[in-house]
Amino acid sequence: MTDKKEKINIKAALTLATTALLGCTVSQVQAQEVDEWAFDAALLYYSEVDRVSAAETIFNANKTFANDEVLNLKLTIDTLTGASANGAVAQPSIQTFTRPSGNGQYQTPVGDTPLDDTFKDTRVQFNAQWTQPLAPNYTGSIGAHFSKEFDYLSLGLNGNLAFDFNNKNSTFSLGFSYFQDTLTPKGGIPNPLTSMLIGDSARSGDDDDDDFINIDDGWDDSFALTRLGKDDTKSTADILLGFTQVINRQMIMQFNYSYSVVDGYLNDPFKIVSVVDAGGITQGNIYESRPDTRIKQSAYMQSMYHFDSTILDVSYRYMWDDWNINSHTIDSRFRIPLSEGSYIQPHFRYYQQSAADFYQPFIMDNDMPSEFVSADYRIGEMTALTIGLKYGMLINDGNELSFRLEYYRQTPTDAGFTEPGVLQDVELYPTIDAIIGQVTYSF
Amino acid sequence: MSQKIKLVCTFSMLVSIAGCSSLGVEPWERDLLAKKEMSLSSSPVDSALDDHIYFSKEASSGGKSFGGGGCGCN
Amino acid sequence: MQHSIKKILLLTVLFSLFVSSVSFANTTSVNSQKALEKALEQHQGQVVYLDFWASWCGPCVKSFPWMNAIHKKYEQQGFAVISVNLDANKKLAEKFLVKNPASFAVIYDPKGKIAKHFAIQGMPSSMLIGRDGEIKSRHTGFFTKKIPEYEKEIEKLLSEK
Repeated sequence: MTDKKEKINIKAALTLATTALLGCTVSQVQAQEVDEWAFDAALLYYSEVDRVSAAETIFNANKTFANDEVLNLKLTIDTLTGASANGAVAQPSIQTFTRPSGNGQYQTPVGDTPLDDTFKDTRVQFNAQWTQPLAPNYTGSIGAHFSKEFDYLSLGLNGNLAFDFNNKNSTFSLGFSYFQDTLTPKGGIPNPLTSMLIGDSARSGDDDDDDFINIDDGWDDSFALTRLGKDDTKSTADILLGFTQVINRQMIMQFNYSYSVVDGYLNDPFKIVSVVDAGGITQGNIYESRPDTRIKQSAYMQSMYHFDSTILDVSYRYMWDDWNINSHTIDSRFRIPLSEGSYIQPHFRYYQQSAADFYQPFIMDNDMPSEFVSADYRIGEMTALTIGLKYGMLINDGNELSFRLEYYRQTPTDAGFTEPGVLQDVELYPTIDAIIGQVTYSF
Repeated sequence: MSQKIKLVCTFSMLVSIAGCSSLGVEPWERDLLAKKEMSLSSSPVDSALDDHIYFSKEASSGGKSFGGGGCGCN
Repeated sequence: MQHSIKKILLLTVLFSLFVSSVSFANTTSVNSQKALEKALEQHQGQVVYLDFWASWCGPCVKSFPWMNAIHKKYEQQGFAVISVNLDANKKLAEKFLVKNPASFAVIYDPKGKIAKHFAIQGMPSSMLIGRDGEIKSRHTGFFTKKIPEYEKEIEKLLSEK
């Protein structure tokens, strides 16, 4: 018993010394770690070339109690900086855009994809999950989620029931989750399909640019007219059916089906779509408009195979929704143990999606959309590739320190839109390269 | 229509596997399955971080769950 | 000529090694069942708690302190704990025993022959054998909240003649 107490004190000391690192091994009951707190601390850095950068840190604490109940607590903090594509097309001239708040502007150089660098946000998220046996072969779990950033609040609940049979070789699981989100974007909710006014609350009237509205001409009022309100909400309800089967001593497989309904404000309040003429010259930009519901379904299959010492993990997911987006995801990891508890694990992920019905990279001015339109490449046609490597090692009497480095490349592709005029000379589908680096300490 | 066919195929595969009682191991043969590395969610922190990235950058999300596998104890 | 003689010699050596390793394996599994029979014979007329465990089994860690305690507590009344280890790799079992010492007997059954014979349904598993040598109760899993229940069963069997 004294040995265990000493271990906890070492943990406490480490917690103070290395503030960014707490760690925990979740879910599995370990032969050596019963009735103890297990911690994980991870720090991740995500950086796109010339675009968004994000830093995210997770503190996870997990404890198994005397009667096989498990409590998991997780704190996540992330910050986002840098620029994101606003949906407008590149042009052979300098472009000026109004910041989403209405205060200030930004300009895009000739030929560049317009990027809005207004996003500097910090988010805090807290998750709690309680799992316990309900009866022989029945396990239940419930959890709560809370997430807050400057302009977004998300509250969620989840519940899950698992039933084991065939000597626990097979398991059926049924889960549901419900999230209620509130968006309060700076500058308010833009009126979909209305034009983005070029103006600036800070500037006073000495411009003779016809299109420029300044504070003297009632900018604030004009801007307010393009806004619907201060905030809006969105709800997400998910149901998940799972089946796990042990194939043999070395192999296990899982099959899941999920059905998800999202309802409410689904637009991205910061995204616009360019309206161009026959020569491809932008005449103006309008705020995007998406449907207020989305029904997503997915079928997922995963298998894990333990060779003599290496482990292969391969999964495939097919997703389809009522926006007509279909996607395929292949994800695989191969764990290669090295000496004394250390290992390397290469990672490969391939992703492909089709464009949403209402996705258009731009709008022809003689063919304005009546209902829905978005130029957000994230619901356009694209493929993405991730290649990574993780290295883990044991330090300090059985604690794991691991490093993960990945390369993520998103390649938006042309979903069949003829490019008029000057749009043929600019990059409409820029590739986005990102590096992901992560350090995790589990103790 | 092809989506429905895919669903039907998936479910019939599931049913046939569930019916295969020859699949599986004896309770004392779960030494490899009991390893943390053989858990279907073997690095939940990595998965959480990755899911967040891909949810923000792509149109798909989720699909995975927990339950099953492991040492099968208690 | 010499080269082929060397080949034959090598093959003969390899073959005899193979044969002896096969028969060794057979004797090991026969040994595990014999070892259990011997252990049970030694405790004839006593109440025996027969436990099946493995190093990778979480609840087994919780059961060991209790099994050590009851092995000592009821010894005078004619009681013993006998455990059967089901690790495929004996080294892992030995590592477990360093961290969780056992004051009771451990019989190694790496091929699971004893487990199969008793049709073990889960890990860990335990059986109570009465003074008459019959199996009186079986438990699948180990639950700390059921310890009073387990001890009641043992005391009841101890009181029987």
